[in-house]
Amino acid sequence: MAAVWKRVRRERQIWLLCLPMIVWVLMFSYYPMYGLLISFQNYVPGHSMFSNWVGFDNFIRFFHEPNFLQIMRNTLVISGLNLLFGFPAPILLALLLNEVKGRAFKKTIQSLSYIPYFISWVVVANILITMLGSDGVLNDILIKLGFIDEPLAFLTNGNYFWGILVSSNVWKDMGFSAIIYLSAMAGIDKEQYEAGRVDGLGRFGLIRHITVPGIRSTAVLLFILAIGGILNAGFEQQLLIGNPLTQDHYEVIDTYVYRFGVQLGNYSYGTAVGLMKSLIGLVLVFIANRLSKRYMESSIF
Amino acid sequence: MEIKSMRTSWASRAADVAIIAVLLLLGFVVIYPFINLLALSFNDGTDAARGGIYFFPRKVSYAAYGMLFENENLLKGLGWSVLRVAIGTGTCLFMTGLLSYIVSIRTFSGRKFMRILFFVTMYFSGGIIPTYILMNQLHLTNTFQVYWIPSLINAYFMLLMASYISDLPEALFESARIDGAGELRIYWRIVIPVAMPVFAAVSIYAAVGHWNSWFDVILYNFNGKFDTLQVYLRRLLLEVEATQQIRDQQLMLHKFQGLSPLTLRAATTIVVTVPILCVYPFLQKYFIGGITLGSVKG
Repeated sequence: MAAVWKRVRRERQIWLLCLPMIVWVLMFSYYPMYGLLISFQNYVPGHSMFSNWVGFDNFIRFFHEPNFLQIMRNTLVISGLNLLFGFPAPILLALLLNEVKGRAFKKTIQSLSYIPYFISWVVVANILITMLGSDGVLNDILIKLGFIDEPLAFLTNGNYFWGILVSSNVWKDMGFSAIIYLSAMAGIDKEQYEAGRVDGLGRFGLIRHITVPGIRSTAVLLFILAIGGILNAGFEQQLLIGNPLTQDHYEVIDTYVYRFGVQLGNYSYGTAVGLMKSLIGLVLVFIANRLSKRYMESSIF
Repeated sequence: MEIKSMRTSWASRAADVAIIAVLLLLGFVVIYPFINLLALSFNDGTDAARGGIYFFPRKVSYAAYGMLFENENLLKGLGWSVLRVAIGTGTCLFMTGLLSYIVSIRTFSGRKFMRILFFVTMYFSGGIIPTYILMNQLHLTNTFQVYWIPSLINAYFMLLMASYISDLPEALFESARIDGAGELRIYWRIVIPVAMPVFAAVSIYAAVGHWNSWFDVILYNFNGKFDTLQVYLRRLLLEVEATQQIRDQQLMLHKFQGLSPLTLRAATTIVVTVPILCVYPFLQKYFIGGITLGSVKG
């Protein structure tokens, strides 16, 4: 009896500690989810949340916007390119690092490779503006090598924008994402390599038949997550690297929600567009997960 | 047989050389922007506009740094940034760590409920506008509080820390409980010291996040009173560039002698980057350990 009493007392103490956390999470995480209801309304700040219901009007409005197609194009192209280059890059880096025999060299390169991950987008934007500007080092070298006569307007010509954005993304994330693959490679049983060598596999054979299968499930998992995020084409980088001259190429769903929803005060409409985006992302994760379960025999849930 | 193995070893050696060359090139691409900006930041502004500065400054000048550090708004921005990192990281770590400990107490009946309550927030959120409206309703906009209260608990950190804490031997806490110690005391006296590696890893992640954050500052603290270093430097740069566009050469020469937007931009970039590079060794030691720790556990 005394033991039970003691336990109740202790649980009461723990629940007391939980209470502020529950209040916090309800307030800062669950209340905004409830706030998504304003996407079905014509919300005016200061007024009640339960008035002015307009059904799906805000959702339909997005499809009729004059720059709807442009925003969708930018979003899909940018994140498609991010996936195309950003997904294999860390795998290749990890494979290369894994083949290096000198430990010190491997460690040095690896340490360098993930520095950019910890740098803010403000800094990356500054670097790009400095190096790609008309008096920057890239134009300087291109002129000296005789490829061009006049500096190229890398930052103010929209045609360059996607390339710049995607390369800076790869530059920033490649080293960090490689860590996960390297730790997966470290988990591969050394005896498999021995057995492979006995079977007469050469260096590339070992990579193809042992290393690559060893990281396949990690790669599939990250690919599913990437598919779910296909409408997340970045946000801060667009705002920081883009400018009014390149807006035709940088405006993606997220920046549109911010500029139209927050800055211009179209709260309900912006929320509707954002909600639509999240729902599509969720559906995509489920589809990708289903497909990989069927064809690759691995999944995230 | 001899010849064949010799040939493969030659091919293998050639592959080694190629791999090392590719990796060296990659390393260079990663590090070169910082070298170039460092060189520019220590160069005279007018001279830098001529181009041709790649690795070292040509005409050394400290004018860019001089202007930055004379500016008291910069020091203010630095102050807010440091305060944000200290308070934001400290409170987030304390609360998230406490939650992680609570959901790891095997005898606690509510552990699953609490775990799910926070786990859900990793996948579902209200998004930017409902959150923005909430901050307005709570009068958190244009306050320092908005830097730490909304990021008090992080579900991803919780998973990482809880997986570490639940691996600790239960006897560690049980004996303290028998001695009559309260849970908060156990957390402070036993859990934090024993789980230090994971606390260190998470604290570095949180601190870098606070130091680097930019968007939440311009979104919530739009009046500029609590501008952090990143935001202030960006504002300064836009101002300097605007000044240049006026083409009032007289004013330019007078006010920013030996300065150009180019060198000033380089110097500001170095100023925000250096703190990250200073903590980098620690970051490597604990942070990378932290990730591997999480991934091994699954």
